[in-house]
Amino acid sequence: MNGKASRNISYVIAIIVGLIIFLATSYRVFGAGTLDEWVEKFNTTAGAGGILFVNALVGVSVALFVAQLKWNALRVTITVIAALIFGYVVTSLFNLDTANKYTQGEFIVALVSDAAPVEQDDVDLQYGRQRGGELNKPGVRDPLTEASFTFAGNEGDVITILAAAANRRSEVDLQVALLGPDGQTLASSTSAAAEQLEQFEDLRSEKDAVIADFTLPASGVYTITTQPEPLSTGTILSEAISATNTAYEAFLLGPLGRPNRWAVWIQDALTLILIGLAIAVVFRARQFSLGAEGQLYFGALVSGAICLAWTNLPPLIVVPVAILASMTAGFLWGLLPGVLKAYLGANELVATLMLNAVATRFYELVLTFQIKPPTAGYTASAPFPEGNVLAPIIPDTQVTIAVFIVIIAVIATWLLISRTPLGYEIRMVGSNRKFADYGGINSKRVIMLSMAVSGVLAGLAGAHLAMGIHRMLILNISLGLAFEGVVVSLLARNNPLVIPFTGLLYAYLRAGAQFMERDANVSFEVVRIIQAVIILLITAEALITLYRYRRTDRASTPDQKPEATAAIEGTAHV
Amino acid sequence: MFDNVIQGIFSAAFLASILRVTTPILLPSLGALVSDRAGVINIGLEGLMLVSAFIGVVISAYSQQWFGVDVGRVVGPWLGLVAGVFGSVLLALLLGFFHLRLKADLILAGIALNILGSAGTVAVMYELTGDRGNTSTLASLQVPFIQLPEFINQIPVIGPFIFNVFDNQSAMTWIAFLSVIFVWFLLYRTPFGFHLRATGENPAAAESVGIPVVRTRYMALLLSGVFAGLGGIHLSMGYLTLFQRDMSSGRGFIALATPLLGGNRPVGTAIASLVFGFFDALAIRIGTLQIPSQLPQMIPFVATIMALVIYALQARQVQIIRAQRAAQGAGFDPTYWRVLQRLSVLHVVLGMIAIIGVIISISMFAAPKGFGGEETAFPLGLVIAVTSVILIALNMPFIARVERIRQQTLFSGAATLVTLGVYLALFLSLFRPPLIVAIGGGLVLAALVWVVLGGLNLVRSAPMSAQPT
Repeated sequence: MNGKASRNISYVIAIIVGLIIFLATSYRVFGAGTLDEWVEKFNTTAGAGGILFVNALVGVSVALFVAQLKWNALRVTITVIAALIFGYVVTSLFNLDTANKYTQGEFIVALVSDAAPVEQDDVDLQYGRQRGGELNKPGVRDPLTEASFTFAGNEGDVITILAAAANRRSEVDLQVALLGPDGQTLASSTSAAAEQLEQFEDLRSEKDAVIADFTLPASGVYTITTQPEPLSTGTILSEAISATNTAYEAFLLGPLGRPNRWAVWIQDALTLILIGLAIAVVFRARQFSLGAEGQLYFGALVSGAICLAWTNLPPLIVVPVAILASMTAGFLWGLLPGVLKAYLGANELVATLMLNAVATRFYELVLTFQIKPPTAGYTASAPFPEGNVLAPIIPDTQVTIAVFIVIIAVIATWLLISRTPLGYEIRMVGSNRKFADYGGINSKRVIMLSMAVSGVLAGLAGAHLAMGIHRMLILNISLGLAFEGVVVSLLARNNPLVIPFTGLLYAYLRAGAQFMERDANVSFEVVRIIQAVIILLITAEALITLYRYRRTDRASTPDQKPEATAAIEGTAHV
Repeated sequence: MFDNVIQGIFSAAFLASILRVTTPILLPSLGALVSDRAGVINIGLEGLMLVSAFIGVVISAYSQQWFGVDVGRVVGPWLGLVAGVFGSVLLALLLGFFHLRLKADLILAGIALNILGSAGTVAVMYELTGDRGNTSTLASLQVPFIQLPEFINQIPVIGPFIFNVFDNQSAMTWIAFLSVIFVWFLLYRTPFGFHLRATGENPAAAESVGIPVVRTRYMALLLSGVFAGLGGIHLSMGYLTLFQRDMSSGRGFIALATPLLGGNRPVGTAIASLVFGFFDALAIRIGTLQIPSQLPQMIPFVATIMALVIYALQARQVQIIRAQRAAQGAGFDPTYWRVLQRLSVLHVVLGMIAIIGVIISISMFAAPKGFGGEETAFPLGLVIAVTSVILIALNMPFIARVERIRQQTLFSGAATLVTLGVYLALFLSLFRPPLIVAIGGGLVLAALVWVVLGGLNLVRSAPMSAQPT
């Protein structure tokens, strides 16, 4: 197959995949079952057209991803799936205690009989009475593991013993036994039959236990013991897996299904795309700068301060000026480590991490002492004046005109890297700095500028967070977004045209993790574990060649080629 | 209020607190040093510290359940320490596997490790305690404190002071400073250390003489895991008895800078760590004053950046001076060049310190309400800004072109005198002497420093060196 045909095929596949994604997201987003329902939901949802428009952009991003990366798209997909499977295993490990709900909880023991009650003082129960307790209460030093109650009975009394969960919250799986006056077990039960459930109101499910219509053989003091049924490994595993399935359903499908959840995904994706672009620019120059975080803080601070201060000017002036100011702030804060690295050789990773810490403290300082209204109970600015925010394109959401800013940013970054002299120089310095120097490129200037340009994009992300999402300045406006940007950029192989897709993908996982924590009580941090695994797998260049290497090994033909390719790939892509 | 700070700074308690806050910087710094010397710099120290801190807390808390409270109290801390360090080592080896076997980029894999450490600890903590912030519900234990024998207190004059500084320090602090000796011995007195340094210098050459490069690098990462793990243990079990999310708060990154500042040597690294410990302890002290707490919190991070710059600049100065010395050939005077080198580094340090003034004044202009309102903050900020800029401008010519120091020796001396004089006068004025005494004392001390560093030497030999070479 020649190159042109294969390119055409990849374009066709790209368009088809993009279309499928567009249709699937648009279908799921309203949570409709049938097509008629969908049409109805579409007509009643405010801004449904805007949602379709954004979904079309999602489809375009996916198509670009496939068209740009071709076979590597498959590798990225496999990597993400492998990381998700790893996350599934971790989540199931966390869920191994799910089955514990069957061994703990409040219960009651009821003694039912038509016979006359026996008057005796030193027993716990009488006919027609019930007692309760809580088994294996968590967080208690000596929890109750089994409960015993005594009662007095006469020969020939017909009794029924019920052991049941005390309320709706308790899911304890009980077993009950009756011990005679001599301590012998006379009867026992682990479950309740369906007709008994109807007969006795106290019973709630088949997990409760009933000893029905037992005739006492002699007069004396009898003992009822009840305890949870022991858990089998099968129960533990199946409960853990079913809980994990519930969690993963919320994780993988949560962001779709309701327009407001969909909006959480999209607005987060806009931030991540901008941060990802910022990281891609520096990574292209092979500078491991994580300064995006600090640049973002300065961008947010500057744009927020302008929006709060200029209340008298028309928003048409304020908003663009605020955005430009955030970009300038990011540029300058990015220039600083750029100069340090280029002209002084200061390690950019350490320098940017330290500058991030300084920027965060500075932001806190200004926010706490200057911007926060004196009456506010928590550390945040007043909400920005009406109008001095990015206007929503879909009503009642934070999906704003930032969509267009992001589109422009993606195209501009792509043009910069692949169509301008500076972009060429950045790529040259990134692939081999010595060679670039030899070829007459001023690599110091290029390194400095790459970090400053990256700052522009990160500053823009800060403006989006302040003016688009929060519409005020809050403490901890970013918690390690630069690291998220690393994943987004690495997955896209630092290709600006692929970053919209990877940003959307990672934002989808982040949004899903939020809903998983809310719906299934699994920690949000699972998604960050997945993030770490993605970075490890994507950077492990030899992972593919390892297989080939083994194969050639087995064929006992000493072939050094795979390792060499790995090394070249390693330098070319990161 | 300044009096308290001054009294505090010169007390044994302050020195003791420096040792305490230096420990969690020094241990990972040694880890960074060892891995750096082997050419596999471990970016993941931060994550390793978190993992070990967390495992230590959990194991020490559960050991009381496993062995009973009485036995658990004794073995728990040490069991926690071993388990924490073990976890940290495993992760470090994972980094080694990904980098050395799977050819993953070392820096990116290190970043992944940091994320894994931060997220993994929070996720497991949430599962165990239902809390995402800290493990205060777990009854975790503390590594014991070491009591000095009483006779040290009886030594005349210095005895009580030494006793107060070193008594009742955590065992982890002792382990940290003993580790410096251990690392020194390992690097310079064992065959392994020789292999390690050779691997870092030039892996290809090391390989060619039969040094097992990959295995050495694995070992270096393993050691860095041990030290980072010990540092983590100090965080959660040294003085506190709980784990907080992200409690390493950047120390793993600061640790990457300290070896650079310490000339990539164990003792230098220890001294650099002590400098950071000093800033940290100072930030805690200043925090009691009526100024925004964020400002002193910035100090360690600004200091790290300055350390990077100072290191880079002085390395460049030394290079230039060496080049000039070589160009001059046999006619050079060694003392003269050494003095030149010292003075150039002094210019760099003095210029960098003035940057703190710039940061303070920027903070004052950005948030005047935090500094007593605009009436106080703006004039004061302006004075600080102008002074700092003048001081930087004075030193800048000599930082930019080192040969100016010998061409314009007297100007250079005057710049040093003024800059250092201002700093020392500011320092002296904390003791509330009359103004003239502070300024005079500052200038005299500055002149003294200049003379001690050999400035006069330079003036004397200046005519000789001014001739074109």
